[in-house]
Amino acid sequence: MALNKSTKPSAFILPPQLSGKTDINRLLRELEMLDEVLIVQQSQKISLPKVTSLLNQTAMANGYKLLEQTHRQHITEQLTKIRDHAPLLHISFATEPSPKVTETLLGWLRTNVHRYALLQIGLEPAIAAGCVLRTPNKIFDMSLGASLQKQTPYLLKLLKGAALDAPVSAAAATTGKP
Amino acid sequence: MDEGGILLISGGALAAIAAILYFDWRAQHKKPSAPKSGAAAKATQALKPVLTLGQSAQEDVEHIFNDDFREELRNRGRLHFEKIIGENAMFLQQDLRQTTTQLNEYMRVEITRTLQIEFKKYEQSITDAKQLALDSIEKTVTTIEQQRQLLESQMQNQAEAQRNQIIARFEAQMARIVNHYVMQAIGNQIDLSDQLEFILGELESNKAAIIEDIKRGA
Repeated sequence: MALNKSTKPSAFILPPQLSGKTDINRLLRELEMLDEVLIVQQSQKISLPKVTSLLNQTAMANGYKLLEQTHRQHITEQLTKIRDHAPLLHISFATEPSPKVTETLLGWLRTNVHRYALLQIGLEPAIAAGCVLRTPNKIFDMSLGASLQKQTPYLLKLLKGAALDAPVSAAAATTGKP
Repeated sequence: MDEGGILLISGGALAAIAAILYFDWRAQHKKPSAPKSGAAAKATQALKPVLTLGQSAQEDVEHIFNDDFREELRNRGRLHFEKIIGENAMFLQQDLRQTTTQLNEYMRVEITRTLQIEFKKYEQSITDAKQLALDSIEKTVTTIEQQRQLLESQMQNQAEAQRNQIIARFEAQMARIVNHYVMQAIGNQIDLSDQLEFILGELESNKAAIIEDIKRGA
């Protein structure tokens, strides 16, 4: 069956729930299993076996029908191509990010950086707050420590101000004046 | 009375004693006249006109200065001598007392003067020793004060250097310190959802660099 040009988007769309190569590999395995099941039951009138929501969302986002072999094959090809060629970004957080956070970040990356950007999430408790993004050749430290490091002059100014105010406060406390 | 007078009186007394002893010795050692024989009497008689005058004078002298008279003179001399001796002894005693008194006074004055001189020397020695000790103490105090000031200066410099080093190190590591403090203070209470705006802002500011690196990597 030929692809329905009216329902299929111009470019393959990755759902925001699909973040990294692991998810793609999982989808590919699921598609492969789905193919095997559907080939075995080819002669019978069957309904779509239960699939994961990620695969379902991927198919729906791109206007594919999972019962169609050509659609599944096209999804497989696209996913394989994306897995092998899409840019992979590593991002580390202090704690495990919620799916909402991951989806938001992926949405931003795919909107502003690359439409097929993949994300590998890691944990680094020393970050405290913020994140550290690692591209193929660079590391972008967007943690709280790096932010404080950039604001060292401002912190010094605050410290000096506090140090200058401290004797006045101490003298006021000694004399009992507010 | 001075020493010359004492010596004069003593010399006079000694001379009188010597004269008395001399006369006494002469009286005791005078030769008795021998009895005259017949021949000698004759010769004497023959020479009598020649010797008569002399003999008469001799006899008169011997008659006048006989033993009794001599004894009386001796007694008078002894009495006079005893009197002189007594008077002189009295004077001598007075003079001796006076001399002793003067000698005691002199010795007292001399001893006092000597003691005063010695005391002055001793006092001067003590004063010199005291001054030396004071000078030494003053030098020691000055040296200690200099050492204290030097040590104080060194300690202040070291403390200042150490303080500057600590401040510089604190300033260099301040971001990590604050980050550590924040992490210890609020730790896991920071939700990533709350940080999303910050993260997106940081991504936005690094957007160009990220795209550039991805293009190069591709």
